[in-house]
Amino acid sequence: MEYSKEGIRELAERIYDLDAEVYAQLGSSLGRVFNRDRESCVKELCELMLERKQAHLVRSELALISNMARTIQDVSMRKMIMSEYDRILKDVTSLPTSFAEGDILDQHMAEVNALNLANRFSGQDHKIICIGRTYGSGGTEIGFALADSLKMNFYDVEIFNAVLNRLEAGKDLVEDTAGHPYKSRRGVDGNVQTVYTRPVYTQPAFAKGPERTLKQRMKEFSRYHGLSKSDAVFFNQSDLICDMAKKEDFIIMGRCANVILANNRIPHISIFINAPFEQRVHRVMAVNEGKMTKKQAVHMLKKMDRDHVKYYKYYTRQQWGNSVHYDLCINSASYGIDGSVELIRKMVQG
Amino acid sequence: MSEVMVSGSVLPLLCIPFAGLLLCIAVMPLAAAHWWEEHQPVVVAFWSVLFAVPFAWVFGVSHTLETVLECMVNDYLTFIVLLFGLFCVAGNITMEGDLAGSPRVNVLLLAVGTLLSSLIGTTGASMLMVRPVIKMNAWRKNRAHIMVFFIFLISNIGGCLTPIGDPPLLMGFSRGVSFFWSLRLLPVMVLNMVVLLWLFYRIDRRMYCGDIARGLKPDISRPGTEIRLEGLHNLVFLVMIVGAVILSGTLPGMASFQDGEGHVRGIRIFGEVVLGWPSVIEIAVILLAAALSFKTTKPEIRRKNHFTWGAIQEVAVLFVGIFITMQPALMLLKSVGASLGITEPAQMFWATGLLSSFLDNTPTYLVFLTTAGSMNFAQGVVTSLGTVPVRMLMAISCGAVFMGANTYIGNAPNFMVKSISDENGISMPSFFGYFVWSLKFLFPVFLLDMVVFFL
Repeated sequence: MEYSKEGIRELAERIYDLDAEVYAQLGSSLGRVFNRDRESCVKELCELMLERKQAHLVRSELALISNMARTIQDVSMRKMIMSEYDRILKDVTSLPTSFAEGDILDQHMAEVNALNLANRFSGQDHKIICIGRTYGSGGTEIGFALADSLKMNFYDVEIFNAVLNRLEAGKDLVEDTAGHPYKSRRGVDGNVQTVYTRPVYTQPAFAKGPERTLKQRMKEFSRYHGLSKSDAVFFNQSDLICDMAKKEDFIIMGRCANVILANNRIPHISIFINAPFEQRVHRVMAVNEGKMTKKQAVHMLKKMDRDHVKYYKYYTRQQWGNSVHYDLCINSASYGIDGSVELIRKMVQG
Repeated sequence: MSEVMVSGSVLPLLCIPFAGLLLCIAVMPLAAAHWWEEHQPVVVAFWSVLFAVPFAWVFGVSHTLETVLECMVNDYLTFIVLLFGLFCVAGNITMEGDLAGSPRVNVLLLAVGTLLSSLIGTTGASMLMVRPVIKMNAWRKNRAHIMVFFIFLISNIGGCLTPIGDPPLLMGFSRGVSFFWSLRLLPVMVLNMVVLLWLFYRIDRRMYCGDIARGLKPDISRPGTEIRLEGLHNLVFLVMIVGAVILSGTLPGMASFQDGEGHVRGIRIFGEVVLGWPSVIEIAVILLAAALSFKTTKPEIRRKNHFTWGAIQEVAVLFVGIFITMQPALMLLKSVGASLGITEPAQMFWATGLLSSFLDNTPTYLVFLTTAGSMNFAQGVVTSLGTVPVRMLMAISCGAVFMGANTYIGNAPNFMVKSISDENGISMPSFFGYFVWSLKFLFPVFLLDMVVFFL
């Protein structure tokens, strides 16, 4: 067994294929050990085998496959599969435990977090930029302007609407106000303009709608496969973002898109835009043209930050805004909107 | 050698093979998994012989043979046939659909299963629900906790409301406790259900979020939920089996099944060992139901259910050894049970429960019911073993039914659920790992039961 990266990948592919074969032979519909797409599972297995002290997890997965394999009725097939299992087990148990000793490199992060952002995307990959931002930091305007500058599509609340259309759902029960109250519009000169579309002091992110009756709840239960509507929306949103990533270049605001794409091994650049709290308060008051007091603005910003943290944590298990999860974190107050756009553009284009 | 001397000195030593077998069940899957899988019958035979030889030396060959045959014919046979019948019939019912395993769906499934346990027995409900629960959660990675709580609630606690629910209560029913008396345990069951389901929801939500964060997601591409049940005609056979269980509890009390001395008539096997006609009828009905179920169901359904004989085979082999080697422990319990000084409901609850965690809960229940019945209480539930105060009978019943959940061997469906889960890609905790789950979640709930109901 060769302990090169290619050798490890080959071993991972053999493990995945073994599981697939066992599952096909059993014809069971009760689920399998590796229940995601081939590429994701193979990459995850590679990471487990490359990572120090994680190879035992691969052995546990193998044990589960063997449990299932032993129940194959066809004796010759079972023997063949168990022989392959034994060979794989031998290779896995002979993996050196200190394979990646002393290396701080996170294999998973490394693939999507190369230092040179311009070289991140291969010829077949579409250019995708995920922007997370705090409310009042000017993140949405930066995203708009960047999309215009890079000639890329820009998605914010549109994603949510597309998902609701997919789900054939009414928009009354969950409302997406996580997107900031701006909308892009092409001006007469052909440039994208940021247009303010609704009052700032609206409902918090993914606010729940009015109380539902039992009948409505039952209907919702059936419509969303027993999931809560917000979970169903999230899962559909994930699918939609991954589908779009195969078709076009785009900039997407929020929606845990950086984590969704990372989980699906889709190259992207993740950016987080923040600004000092005081600056954000002033900006929200300014954008609101004096219709909001400082107290109201502070209250709203704190609440939105709390909701964002909660939402992001629920779906990603990560800390929203924590710099380790992003390629680039920008204090927009230091650069301004145009400066931030220019900074990002230079980094992305190299 | 007098009985008292034997009880006092030799019987505890004769329990060593039982402890040895339990230790093997706990340790061997961790230490030498492959060897253990292939050599389970050898290990069971080894400990059984290790029990039989010294037992024969102390009690004589004839008495040993009688003891072994008694437990095999009257305890093990009906136990494994019932398990086999339910395993076959439930394996012929499949659920196809796209309901996604999420915390609230799982809570709903566990709640329905728990209530079902009292209607079709803990084994019946477990076998019926285990595959749908596995299937709905197939998209997830973290699933072991779901099956652990499944065992807690559906395989054990849910069976406390009727004599059909769990064998100890059926034994109580055949000793004169009325059929619907167990409904008095509803408040205890509801408390346990609410607390455990709440704890489960919290844990499952955390695990569910972990799965989402890993990028796992259910297939919900089609709008609306479709659930399709196939092989539903097998419910008739399920009812047949439940009917057979009820018959096994009622027929022995009927005059036509008793001889002049009031003993149950049946086929004499050896010495005093008799396979009663009610048991013969029960076995015949169950086997007929299983055969009809197989005959009338398309193999495709079993294929979809990943139906194999592995789980029932493992349970059948291991429980032969458990039933044989636990005989000295049961004899010890019978001989010293009355002199343990257990007189309060709380004591009865814990004594019955802790022993039921490792021993067969039916004889354990009977020992403590007999002990309580011999205390000459003036008021309470009148049974053929004496009058037992309501709270005390509740404590004995709850202890026997609930605490079977403490270990994998505490109740028959526990091990079945574990085996079926193991076969379907779920990494179930080891024997000790499961016991840690019990210590963390069940024992505090049982303490609460004691404080609220039995002090």
